[in-house]
Amino acid sequence: MNELLKPVYLEEKLEEIRADGHQDYRSRSLPTWCPGCGYFSMAEGFTLALKKLGRSAEEVVVVSGIGCASRFPFFVNTYGFHTLHGRTLPVATGVKQANDALTVVAVGGDGDAFAIGGGHIPHAARRNVDITYLVFDNGIYGLTKGQTSPTSVLGFRTSTSPYENGDEPLNPLMMLLAYRASWVGQAYAGHPHHLADMIAEAIAHRGFSYLHILSPCVTFDKTTRTYRNLNMQVRDLPSGYDRTDLAAAMGEAMKVDHPALGVFYEESRPTLADVMDETARKAGLSPVPAGGE
Amino acid sequence: MNGTDVQFAICGSAGDGTIAAGDILKRTMALMGYKVIAFDIYPAEIRGFGKCISRVRVTTEQAYSLKHQSDVLMSLNDAHAIPHVGEVRDFGAVIYDNAPIARLPEGGHVSAHIRPMQLPYGVSFRSISDRATGNARGRNIVALGYLAGLYGMPAEAFHQTIANKFATKPQAVTDANVRAFEAGYEAAIGTFKLDDVVMGSPLHRADGARAVMMTGNGAVVRGLMDAGIDCYFGYPITPATTIMERLAVEMPRRGGRMLQTEDEISAIAATIGAGYAGARSATATSGPGLALMAEMLGLGVMAEVPSVVIVSQRGGPSTGMPTKTEQSDLNMAVFGGAGDARRIVLAPTNVEGCYRCAGLAFELAEKFQTPVIVLLDLYLSNRYETVIPPKENPFEPKQATGPQGPVFRRFELTESGVSPRAVPGQAGGVHTITGLEHNELGRPSDQPDNHVAMSAKRYRKLEPATRYPGLTTIKRFGAAGKVDIGILGWGSTFGEILEAMFEAENEGISCSAMKVVMLSPLPVDELEAFFADCRVVLVPELNHEGQLATLVSGTLGRPVVRLPRATGAPMRVDEILAEVRRLAAETAAAAE
Amino acid sequence: MTESLHYVVIGSGSAGHGAATTIRARDPGARITMITMSRLPFYNRYDLPKMFKGVTDWRDLLAEDPKIYDELGITLRRNSRVVDIDGRARTIALAHNEVIAYDKLLVCTGGGPNVPAILEDYRPLMHGFGTFEQASATVAALPPGGQVVILGGDMIGLDIAFNLLEAGYRVSLAVGEQTFWPHRVEPDERAVLLKSLAKTGLDLIEDRSVVAIEAADRPARRVHFDDGSMVETDIVMPFFGILPIVDFMLGAGIDMERGVLVDPALKSSNDAIWAAGDVCQIWSDVDRDYRFYHGWKNVRVMGELAARNMTGAEETFDTADESVIEVDGNGCIRSTFWEH
Ligand SMILES: Cc1ncc(C[n+]2csc(CCOP(=O)(O)OP(=O)(O)O)c2C)c(N)n1
Ligand code: SF4
Ligand SMILES: [Mg+2]
Repeated sequence: MNELLKPVYLEEKLEEIRADGHQDYRSRSLPTWCPGCGYFSMAEGFTLALKKLGRSAEEVVVVSGIGCASRFPFFVNTYGFHTLHGRTLPVATGVKQANDALTVVAVGGDGDAFAIGGGHIPHAARRNVDITYLVFDNGIYGLTKGQTSPTSVLGFRTSTSPYENGDEPLNPLMMLLAYRASWVGQAYAGHPHHLADMIAEAIAHRGFSYLHILSPCVTFDKTTRTYRNLNMQVRDLPSGYDRTDLAAAMGEAMKVDHPALGVFYEESRPTLADVMDETARKAGLSPVPAGGE
Repeated sequence: MNGTDVQFAICGSAGDGTIAAGDILKRTMALMGYKVIAFDIYPAEIRGFGKCISRVRVTTEQAYSLKHQSDVLMSLNDAHAIPHVGEVRDFGAVIYDNAPIARLPEGGHVSAHIRPMQLPYGVSFRSISDRATGNARGRNIVALGYLAGLYGMPAEAFHQTIANKFATKPQAVTDANVRAFEAGYEAAIGTFKLDDVVMGSPLHRADGARAVMMTGNGAVVRGLMDAGIDCYFGYPITPATTIMERLAVEMPRRGGRMLQTEDEISAIAATIGAGYAGARSATATSGPGLALMAEMLGLGVMAEVPSVVIVSQRGGPSTGMPTKTEQSDLNMAVFGGAGDARRIVLAPTNVEGCYRCAGLAFELAEKFQTPVIVLLDLYLSNRYETVIPPKENPFEPKQATGPQGPVFRRFELTESGVSPRAVPGQAGGVHTITGLEHNELGRPSDQPDNHVAMSAKRYRKLEPATRYPGLTTIKRFGAAGKVDIGILGWGSTFGEILEAMFEAENEGISCSAMKVVMLSPLPVDELEAFFADCRVVLVPELNHEGQLATLVSGTLGRPVVRLPRATGAPMRVDEILAEVRRLAAETAAAAE
Repeated sequence: MTESLHYVVIGSGSAGHGAATTIRARDPGARITMITMSRLPFYNRYDLPKMFKGVTDWRDLLAEDPKIYDELGITLRRNSRVVDIDGRARTIALAHNEVIAYDKLLVCTGGGPNVPAILEDYRPLMHGFGTFEQASATVAALPPGGQVVILGGDMIGLDIAFNLLEAGYRVSLAVGEQTFWPHRVEPDERAVLLKSLAKTGLDLIEDRSVVAIEAADRPARRVHFDDGSMVETDIVMPFFGILPIVDFMLGAGIDMERGVLVDPALKSSNDAIWAAGDVCQIWSDVDRDYRFYHGWKNVRVMGELAARNMTGAEETFDTADESVIEVDGNGCIRSTFWEH
């Protein structure tokens, strides 16, 4: 049975939440998202993940861009930096360069990530910066009230594509695989427990982890990426799937009509910090090249 | 100027070793204890045979800029050198190859252009090199040896510089170059010196301190390093690239981290990210990069994150003239970006200043929780000066951070405007910063009173910066008190302004000069006092519009006389002087 | 509009200088180029002995303010050696590989010291006085009150000898055939002249010829004579008359003997080439031969005259003008070459 269709009893739920303790990671500010927005799942999933990993709040920095999804840092009780539209990853890279010990989680929407911020993703991925990037893909610009995004489906009507969107949507998973992200996964706001597990796994990964989260915008998208549609489309990865097989991952990522949930790809390779340490080692060994003053 | 004051110009094409010869010359002069100011001009194109000029001014007393006229011109390529023969003063020397291989049309040889009062020295660099080293590649070093011999400079000092320069190459390279140098030197010994250029002996400092030679960019690197830079992020762009290149060598050796980012937006974004996380972090760029950084700088102002941005200006707008100097990014540095976003902008006027401003920029950025822009230009970035390194590291270590009070208010409205700051990792300091207008806790707020109070806080907190200890934010030179002509300047141009001012003083003109190092916030009181003392204030600067002139006259509501020049070359002392003379005559006439 | 003519003058001594200024006066639109090996603007070679009296800065020896080149629009090409002239193509090649085209060419390169074959090997041990640089080196090599041996003599050398004596130096003169060059003197005249010379304070070395010069340590030179005798001295200066400097003209295709052969209007066998000064031999109707006419007065006259003829005049040089040397009533030597 679909999780969302289960009845929820408020008192019971609140008690369960308090006892769990993960609410310690929530801030006093109440989310400003529209009721029903898929993003609520992230506040929940994230806090559950931190609880699971046992990270203390002051070790964690959430860096976000601009958008509905990017409001996230205000709703959690960790260090947070709500930056500029599209600049999530470079700011997060800076934070991590300054202090390797921090757990850095970058958060943004699909426009933030793949439109204005698209140029930064390949570089964070190829450098294998040890951060986690959570992209909440609602296929629309939520905060600016419903314009077309780079992941909007063909034929989608928005305020900026009143005669239907004619631009081919991007395939973020294929892009991230091609960029050599060392951990690539997909989750769905409608499956919050799976999402929480995936966030935890993404954070635990050493290196750049990318989690694509399908999330409905209940206010501005009544036709395409709705819970109803997504519930019918999502599927599990095939059994026996090898998450170290890049070609297989690409193959799964291509099946856009039936998005698979789970870890598409994982590999272990030196992180940016490792490279920095290696550079420092080499620099210590070599004579100072000429040209200095 | 008493004592030695000789300017050498070496001109040739990119393949002639022009800059290398100039480099050995200036390093040797510095090694000997002279004061040196030098500036090389490169062609814009990387390959091919574009024009290079290396100008080296050697003095015993402090000089402030290159001279408009050189005492000696050495041509390694006549086609390039011919237009520069005119810059040699009367009774100065022009040294050239008198046996070029190619047949030249009339006027194709540099000797055709030597004025009757200039002294010609024809030498066969090529065949001397051939004889000494077996090939003609050492022509530039032969020429250098000739120059050294002609002016009686000690050959050993050059040998040392040559050895240093080729230290990483096989010994044979040094040997060949020393042989070429010696052969040129020898040739000069047999030459009758007819010019009146004299190299006196260098003065040695009483305290025995040895000067080192640095470019503006080199000094920026030293300043950043001495101030303990933790992180650097940058994207290559002329004329700032050499900062990143040097830091790439030095930072890893001291545990610092240098990262070449994918663009300037990410460079400043990461710089601010690292600043937020408590690092001393910096980036460097030029005008086009600064334009890309404008939005992030606004975030730095709004979220009150320390960061340092070195900007070396070049000809603009747009891609403009990448290898030419200009001071046309003042407006953008001071005002660029969205909203009321005051930040600190420092514009050093000499190489020493580059060192101080770069290092102190970290202190200011931390103390006032703001982006700090250090504004250079190509002329200052690339020019060499001898500087005495400080005996002790003059920069303060990083300030302690941490939450204060029972409830940590990251943006607390204090009297000074500076709020307590905590960095990620610090217990009890958990908070979120944002580019949205926010309240004392950092929560988004668009309440009118809050915006007014927060804007005022962000302006108020920067005011004491103009009196920051250890930093010259503004300074007057020359006569004190009332004068006829005041010359106001900033950045690299101030050297030329000082030279012009001293010259005008010698001519009996009542004048004085003031440099503004802190362009934002402006040291208004000192400026007011200066304007009150001067009948006329002249503002020479390297841009089309007169950007400092507009800034100062707009801020003070006082008239100024503009002298904007945007040719791509440094300001000319004689042009400033001519304007000062004109204004002096005018004020005298008006007084009658 | 007619193209302006390009006049090229080789040599920047008094003949060349006088010629260039004359051309400018007569053809305001002309292009004028002067080419010289000298590295200095025009100075008078005959003024160089002033250097013994402490005038050692070349700027004090200039005959003209160098500004005049700009004022007169004369391009002065210094430190430039002409290596070839193509009389047909009307081009000049310079040693530094530059080629210059001319319409009319005036050669006034003057002469260089004539050094006898026997002394050729000792050139590096002798001091000349033909240029500022040589004169400076000579002055620098002379200690106060030092000793000079002048070999030969000649009227230029004698002039220098007198200046040296005046400046307090000791001067020995090894007399020979060229002692009164360019004057042609009969043996009886010669005896009288030598007697007069001896009275000036010169130490005459007669009836001996030099066979070798040797470098030594203080004084710096030893001069050996054919009779086995030796004289110690600080410097040795050879003066055996001068030879015209014409080697670069060999390919020009014009008539030459020792110098450039010119008619009394100073034009060579090539219609576009003139010569003036010590470099040319002028046809003398009196002597029915080509003759040299040395001396600064002649040289200046020739330069200006050639310039006038190059710009349309048809004047001739007075070849009857005789050079005279004699001892006057007071026992002093008088010469049309110089006055002392
Ligand atoms: C430089 C800049 N351009 C435009 C905007 C306006 N803007 C804010 S959010 C947004 C789009 C948000 O879409 P998305 O990233 O998908 O986030 P969502 O709201 O859907 O979560 C835009 C265009 C901005 N803040 N900054
Ligand atoms: S506008 Fe859409 S994306 Fe934004 S909060 Fe509302 S539902 Fe969520
Ligand atoms: Mg979106």
